[in-house]
Amino acid sequence: MKELESLFNPSAVAVLGASRSRQKLGNAVLRNIIDSGYPGKIFPVNPKEKEIEGLPCYPSVGAIPDPVDAAVIVVPSRLVKPLAEECGKKGIKHLIVITAGFREVGEEGWRAERELLQVCKKYGMRMVGPNCLGIIDTHTPLNATFATGFPLRGEIAFISQSGALCLAILDWSLDKGIGFSRFVSLGNKADLNESDFILSAAFDPHSRVIACYIEDVSDGRQFLAACSQATRRVPVLVYKAGTSQAGARAASSHTGALAGSDVAYETAFRQCGVLRARDMAQLFDWALAFSTQPLPRGKRVAVVTNSGGPGIITTDNVEARGLEMARFQKETIDRLRERLPAEANLYNPVDVIGDADPDRFAFALRTVAADPGVDSLIAILTPTAVIEPEETARRIIAVRQETPDKPLAAVFLGGPEVQEAVSQLSKAGIPSYTFPEPAVSAIEGLTRYAQLRARDRGRVVTFDDVDRQRVREIFREVREDGRTVLLATEAAEVARAYGIPVAPSALASQPDEAERIAKELGFPVALKVMSPRILHKTDVGGVRLGLNSPEAVRSAFVSILDAVSRHLPGVTIYGIQVQKMVDPGTELIIGLNRDNQFGPLLACGLGGIYVNLLRDVAFRLAWQLTDTDIQEMLQETKAYTLLRGFRGEPPKDVDAVVEALARTAQLARDFPEIAELDMNPVMVYERGLAALDVKITIDT
Amino acid sequence: MKGLFVVGSYGSGKTALCLGLALIFREQGLRVGYFKPIGVLAGVSGKEDEDVALMREVLGITDCCERMVVLHASHNYLSRYQKADAHLRLIKECYDELAADRDVVIMEGTTFPHVMASLGLDAGTIARQVGAVVLVVGRAEDDFSADRMILFNEYVRSRDAEVAGSVFNNVPRPLLDKVRGVYKPLLEDLGHRVLGVVPRRVEIAAPTVREFCAVLGGELLAGHEHLDLLVEDVLVGAMTLESALPYLRRSANKAVITGGDRADLVLATLETSTSLIVLTGGLYPDVKVVARASQRGVPLLLVHYDTYTTIEKLHAVSRKIKPDQEEAIRLAKDVVSQYVDWRAILDALR
Repeated sequence: MKELESLFNPSAVAVLGASRSRQKLGNAVLRNIIDSGYPGKIFPVNPKEKEIEGLPCYPSVGAIPDPVDAAVIVVPSRLVKPLAEECGKKGIKHLIVITAGFREVGEEGWRAERELLQVCKKYGMRMVGPNCLGIIDTHTPLNATFATGFPLRGEIAFISQSGALCLAILDWSLDKGIGFSRFVSLGNKADLNESDFILSAAFDPHSRVIACYIEDVSDGRQFLAACSQATRRVPVLVYKAGTSQAGARAASSHTGALAGSDVAYETAFRQCGVLRARDMAQLFDWALAFSTQPLPRGKRVAVVTNSGGPGIITTDNVEARGLEMARFQKETIDRLRERLPAEANLYNPVDVIGDADPDRFAFALRTVAADPGVDSLIAILTPTAVIEPEETARRIIAVRQETPDKPLAAVFLGGPEVQEAVSQLSKAGIPSYTFPEPAVSAIEGLTRYAQLRARDRGRVVTFDDVDRQRVREIFREVREDGRTVLLATEAAEVARAYGIPVAPSALASQPDEAERIAKELGFPVALKVMSPRILHKTDVGGVRLGLNSPEAVRSAFVSILDAVSRHLPGVTIYGIQVQKMVDPGTELIIGLNRDNQFGPLLACGLGGIYVNLLRDVAFRLAWQLTDTDIQEMLQETKAYTLLRGFRGEPPKDVDAVVEALARTAQLARDFPEIAELDMNPVMVYERGLAALDVKITIDT
Repeated sequence: MKGLFVVGSYGSGKTALCLGLALIFREQGLRVGYFKPIGVLAGVSGKEDEDVALMREVLGITDCCERMVVLHASHNYLSRYQKADAHLRLIKECYDELAADRDVVIMEGTTFPHVMASLGLDAGTIARQVGAVVLVVGRAEDDFSADRMILFNEYVRSRDAEVAGSVFNNVPRPLLDKVRGVYKPLLEDLGHRVLGVVPRRVEIAAPTVREFCAVLGGELLAGHEHLDLLVEDVLVGAMTLESALPYLRRSANKAVITGGDRADLVLATLETSTSLIVLTGGLYPDVKVVARASQRGVPLLLVHYDTYTTIEKLHAVSRKIKPDQEEAIRLAKDVVSQYVDWRAILDALR
């Protein structure tokens, strides 16, 4: 993403719509660029002015004598497009369109935005916004926004879909002393979107961590690709708004696009190594930790405290968040015993007790930090009469410098007593918190990212023995019949074409035909009603199992028709599926559901009739699905325990399940028109498996 | 040549069949007339009988409209019409007039064959009086459809009118085999000829957005240029967003009825195959929702009824082929020539 370098570090910037009036945004933007200490050339453009804020003003972009990399546009919306055209002719590479009044105001605005984008495409310009706050780079330095204030220089890149949140975070960070490398307000994301900026920041030498606030993702596939690449270099933290029903509705109204399902977002984040923050506080707790701390080698945490209660709270949290309390080596414990009082707790959490002075505290911390079984450290201080918080802070800073390879978080409980100490820690790059939970959360974030980065991502598996032509034919026939839902017999054929074993069956329209098919397949058989309108066949009396004779098949045929007509009068019945009964095995469900943003979402879990009750399902996106993903997905389910042989049962064919999942994912990738696919149950045996019921819905 | 009286129940596709037969007969060099002794009062549109308008335009008929549709059946027709004899005389008079310079007059029955039987103006009686041969048309939905076909046939015969045969029309694809293999032999065993089994073609049978708008009224917020989209199914969107997509994906070219405040549901609907979205309760949607519908080319109709009333009103929506729908007209002719034994019908008229 070298392309955006000249956006954040342009040789020259033009401000279109620069104004003399200090009340106008066109003036605020210009002054911000000047005040930020931007080293390049600045060209205000306004046909009515000769000079603004001490700089010569140009009547048009064309009149600027020098080449210009980026233009900030702050003019009424109707003027944006013609000015963009001029910028294109001038050879400007980037537009930052602050002007509002585009997609967010309805259809006309949407058209105007599309036309503006066409202009950008025509000249190969990249655009931020429209309807945004602008962008900041503290290292250039450049402040091309209308925000009040300039953030402290730091190593966090912040990307936000909400301009207002940008303003709030900026102001808050000044108070907290948190520094940023970049600030990006995405606006309407007509051209450049979160994926572009994430990837760009990942290659920015000044950004050590990327924190994002997003309401939706513009392009799921691009996001996955960008984040997969970015997270190999730096951590990407995302707070995604609009997760609840009502929140999703609000986000939909706000963005004018259907929100992807939260499951899909969760899965996408996990698959591309993005860490998802559960609240805004966590987003910045993590960001701060990543911008100052090294990555831990493992998940073993050592806790040093001068009070019992906070130590216990911390221990609980360490366990709850999937971290481990470190077990010290004998040497460490012996050393602690030499210097600590008898009442102290030498085991993790190390309690140096209430009468500890800075010396004792630092000794304990230094000792556990040296233990090779410790990956990260949490130092907890309660303001007692003897602890001297500021002196202790200095000692903690010293320990930090002695062991630069282990992350350290401080918890200084209290108020005015610890204020100065906290500020010292913060200046020295040690994140400190008032209560234990966020400190543990910060260590958790660091640890999870370290694990993600170390993980082998595996490779995408594909099979050559699939029959695409057959699937295409079936889909064409279904469409010609004006349907979107495949009959079970058609769906079974699709699965078979992709090498997924399905129990043998055929469609009968008359009792005689059913009888003949049953004889061919061999008894016992099952009969199932076929109609695109019937979703749950069992509920309407549409399924009969274990039929052992021609007479039984005949009578079941008629009784299914009667039962279905009674439950669903007027529904057209396409016939009855006659299926060979297969042996019982471990019942799984394998499913696909196409998400609006991230494409096909593969699901796997415990199958049969308890799917909705037990909800033992794991998800992965089919795009880029690797063998590692499939293994991990399967291991997340309780079904996996069953497959491996529960309570003395022989283990089932896990490899067959992995293969079936890989084949299903390939089917989804090859045929994006599949909206939904459901195989339930899939019977898994000691050798092989068989899908009993396959459902597929496609687009017209 | 005798007249051909096409009778059957509401929604069996009588008009499309009449149209197809008329076009084929004309192709055979016959001069074809059209007569609808009993029309239906166009309650909703308040306009002239649309079937008559269609036939006049397509067949280039210039006869006076009042002579092409003589009486109008309504729920209270007995308040309007009493003198049975006079009405029957008028019908015969009009028929003779229309038949005077034509080789064949195709007559179309009203909603049901038995309508206005209390005045002796039911289809069977009229057929006998004007000497027309009856063609019975029926849909095929289930086994009762065969019973109804038998009943209509025997009723017409009981009126001493001549029957050319029956046509199963608008037959859903999955029922074709059963109609051909089971219903047809059953009828023929009872002495009723089956002259056609016509598969359902949505292009003729499904109503368009225009017909929905005409029945519902309201305000069209988007998609003005897509009123000719076919509506093949109607769904109500009242579920959570999570359950909505699987439900909406199951049906193609549908109309979805939902509240104007359900931006999420409308957006989900727009991701699936949709011909019309009806927003109930008079709740205006967000501008971005309207913009999205425009982008997708899906008409968005705002009505002031609640959802129940809206659905009740939809019962009145049915497909009327319009004179300018050339494709539908061509198809009406094609399916008749392909699936109906029109030569046998012509023989019966000679």
